[in-house]
Formats: sequence, C-alpha cells, structure tokens
Amino acid sequence: MTLVLDKVQVSIEGVRVLRGVSCEIVERKTTILIGRNGAGKTTTLRAIMGLLALDGGDIRLDGDDLRKHPAHYRARAGIGYAPEDRRLVPEMTIEENIRLPGLALNLDKGELNGRLEEIYTFLPQLRDLRKRPGGGVSGGQGKMVALGRALMVARKVLLLDEPFQGLAPALALDYARTLGELRKHRPELALLITESTPALLDAIADRTLQIERGEISEQAGSPRTENVAV
Amino acid sequence: MNAIIPLMLDTLSSAALIFFAAVGLTLVFNVLRVLNVAHGSFYSIGAYVAASICAFIVSRHLNPYLSFVALLFSAALVAVVLGPLIESTLIRWTYGKSEAVQILITFGLFLILEDLQRMVFGVQSFYEDTPMRLMGSTSIGGVVYLNYQMFLVAMAVIVVFGLRLLIKHSRLGRLVTAVVADREMAQSIGVDTNKIFIIAFSLGVFLAALGGALAVPTSGVAPGLGADTMVLAFAVAAIGGLGQIEGAALAALIVALARVLAIYFVPSLDAVAPYAAMLIVLLVRPYGLFGAITTRRI
Repeated sequence: MTLVLDKVQVSIEGVRVLRGVSCEIVERKTTILIGRNGAGKTTTLRAIMGLLALDGGDIRLDGDDLRKHPAHYRARAGIGYAPEDRRLVPEMTIEENIRLPGLALNLDKGELNGRLEEIYTFLPQLRDLRKRPGGGVSGGQGKMVALGRALMVARKVLLLDEPFQGLAPALALDYARTLGELRKHRPELALLITESTPALLDAIADRTLQIERGEISEQAGSPRTENVAV
Repeated sequence: MNAIIPLMLDTLSSAALIFFAAVGLTLVFNVLRVLNVAHGSFYSIGAYVAASICAFIVSRHLNPYLSFVALLFSAALVAVVLGPLIESTLIRWTYGKSEAVQILITFGLFLILEDLQRMVFGVQSFYEDTPMRLMGSTSIGGVVYLNYQMFLVAMAVIVVFGLRLLIKHSRLGRLVTAVVADREMAQSIGVDTNKIFIIAFSLGVFLAALGGALAVPTSGVAPGLGADTMVLAFAVAAIGGLGQIEGAALAALIVALARVLAIYFVPSLDAVAPYAAMLIVLLVRPYGLFGAITTRRI
C-alpha cells in the first residue's frame, strides 16, 4: 500500500499554498511532516482528503487517482483523518461520534461493533467517556475521540493533524505513548502525522519530512530506519 | 365563549398548513445553508397538481376516496420530479456563495416557477373540496366543525414526530446531523454530502407540496399563492429560529393565532398580523424562539 503525492499544488483563495509537494506514505511506516505554522501541513492533509481542489499534480492510492473521486471516497478507500480541531458532533454522544463513520460507510453491524471494540481496547479511556455528549469533553479528550473516529475508517492510511497542538504536556506524553501503542496494534497502517514540534514524535518516527513554504524536502539522514518502533 | 372553540380550531388548522410550508424551508436552510426564496412555489405547485388530479378523479367518477391518495401522491410527485432536478442544476452552484447571490438565484427560480405555473395551470382559481366533503363535519354544542380541519392538525403532528424520529433514529438522520454540524468532517468520514443535499432538498419540497395539496380542499389555489406562502413561511422560520423543527411548529401556531385573531376581531389587519407577531418576537429574541447564536442544531 502506498499513498503517493506527486508535485501537488494547491491554492486557497487565490494564494498558492502548496507549490509542489511530493512524498510517499507507505504501509507499516510512520511519517512525520514537520513545518512551521502556515507552511502547508494542514493543507497537505486536506488536499489528500479531497477537501481542496488541486491546481496541479497527482495524489494516488495504490495507483488509484484520487483526483477522479469525490471527497467522501477517501473514507471508503480506508483513509482515516483526525483534523487538528477535533470537529465532533456536539449533540451526539462520544460513542455515536465514533460510530458515525461506520454508519456513513454502511458497515454491517458485526463489522461496526468489531471495529468499535478494537478502538475501545486500544483507547480504553474512550469507553469511560462513551455516554458523554460530543460537546462536553475537554480538548485532550476530544483529540482522543477524533483519533478513535479516524480509526473507525483507517484500514490503510491514518492522517493526524497536529495531534499535540493545544495539549497539556502530560496529555501530550500520554497521546505520544498511545501512538506508539497504535503501531503495535495496527502494524499494517501507514501513518502520516503533522507536527510543529517534532520532539515528542522522535521515538516513533520512521521518516521525517520537512515542509517549508509549500514544498517538501526529506530531512538529512532520513529515512531513519534505526528509529523504527517495534 | 362559543367563539373560542372555532377560533382554536381555525388557528390549529391554519397553523398546520403554515407549518408544512415553513418546516421545509427551515430544514433546507439548516442542511444546505441556502435560504430558498422559491420555497413557496413548491407549496403552490403541490396545490395545483393536487387540484388537477382530484378534478380528474371526480370527472372520471372514480372512487372519491382516491382523492386522499391523490393529495399525498401529488406531493410525492412534485418532490421526486422537482427536488433532484432543481437541487442538482441550480441550488448546488450556490453552495458557499454569499447570501446575496443565493437569494438572487433562488428569487430568479421563484419568478421562473411562477410563470411556469401560469403557463401550465392558467390564471383562474381551482377549488376542489371532495376530500373535505367526504370527511363530513362534527357538531359540538350546536357549532359545526369540519372534520378535515382536525385531519390537517393530525397530519402536522405526524410530520413533527416523523421528522424527529427520522433525524434522531435513522441512519439518514444521523448523517444529516453530521452534515449540519460540519460539512467537511462529514465528507472526511465518508458521507456523500451531495446525496444528503438532494434528499434533504427533496424532502423540503415534499413538505411544502404536501402543505399546498392539503390546503386545496379548504382554500383552493390561485395565482399568488406561492408568494403569499413564502412570506408566511419566512415569518415562521424567523420566529422559530432558522433550522428548528419544533420552533417552526410553535411559530406556526403563533402566526396562525395572530392571523385568526385579526380575522375574528380586526379583519382589516389580517395581512399585517403575522409580521406584527414576527416583529414582537424578534424584538425580544433576535435569533428566534429556539435560535441559538453559537450551536447549530436540527
């Protein structure tokens, strides 16, 4: 499984934000995308999700040209996305929020409950929160819920946008540990995580990419295979 | 004292019809975020189609009870034909555009639909009261009430609970709620938003057309009905808070009560009463009775 971005160019309201982003996100690997605010991290993820139109370039999942498909196709293809700002449905409970992608994808009941159970085993704190309304959880809890919801979808690729942004240091450490666990639980997943402060992710990064003014360059010395988490 | 029960029944049945028009407007606004100025036209088209089908049934001496089926069928027909067509050819291009553009485009649609109705159905009025006569009347304390009025109220109550059930407990309703909460997020988790928009818009068309069809036996249909309905529906949606189903139901009651009181006591104020009610409510609660500034709900 490979997700390929090839010279992707994207403009937002007439301003070119991505000027040629090329990279490969491969299965069993954790790729970290580092860049300052405004460098184009979130835009890269939103372009992959089909939420922004490309000016040029290609995005392919195993050779399948994603440009040809509407945005909702990504979830069907197994790409899960946890946006930076959580975006839960406030009037649904946490469990309903996590189940929502299963409904959208029309998973059969057994499959949906199976995936939910898997998510609860891996993120047990969500089981305790499951009856709370989506609008009634803290920022850190909300991030976990968004991760759980993305995992309901992610069969091949998981995109996490700045998972540590706005988290208290203790929670951030907790989240980083959870991501390490995720590697063990779901070794087949291709992970793409954006971050402005890479320190927390050093332990789990297989590869670090740097995005600067809408262009990606692989960091010196990478791929850093010595850091592969086991 | 004898005036109170007929006044109440008139209020309730008139509220039911206004509610049908307003709830679709508010539903479509909530899901698509387009204020459809042409919404009232679906009400009058529903009325014309129902009147035509009922007249056909009567002229062919078919079973008159078929006219009840005809009322429902005409609303469904209008929704299935016009809903997907108009959403996918016109409304879809206004998503994300400024409100001014949306209002101009839907106002253009309103003018087109009004002229089309004149071309197809002419400018004369239609009356077709077979369903009302079939239902008969009930006499309570010497005053005679039309059973059809109670039927209208029952239909409105069914729609309120039906919509609630649909939104809270069906797969479609959950996906609609997700789209209302956050369109992009909904797409990212696999919701085909275009499909949701077509369904929600067509449901709005259906509700308006159903209101128009149900109004035919009591008040008939004549040119200008679409425009009259639109302003009433807008007043109701504004009072209830745009996007609120229960709000629309309560607001329809308020508007109908204002109107019926005016008709009973100051007939010359009939046309102004709904807006006076709207003005008073909005002065006290600028976002409507159930409207909220921050959270968007359905």
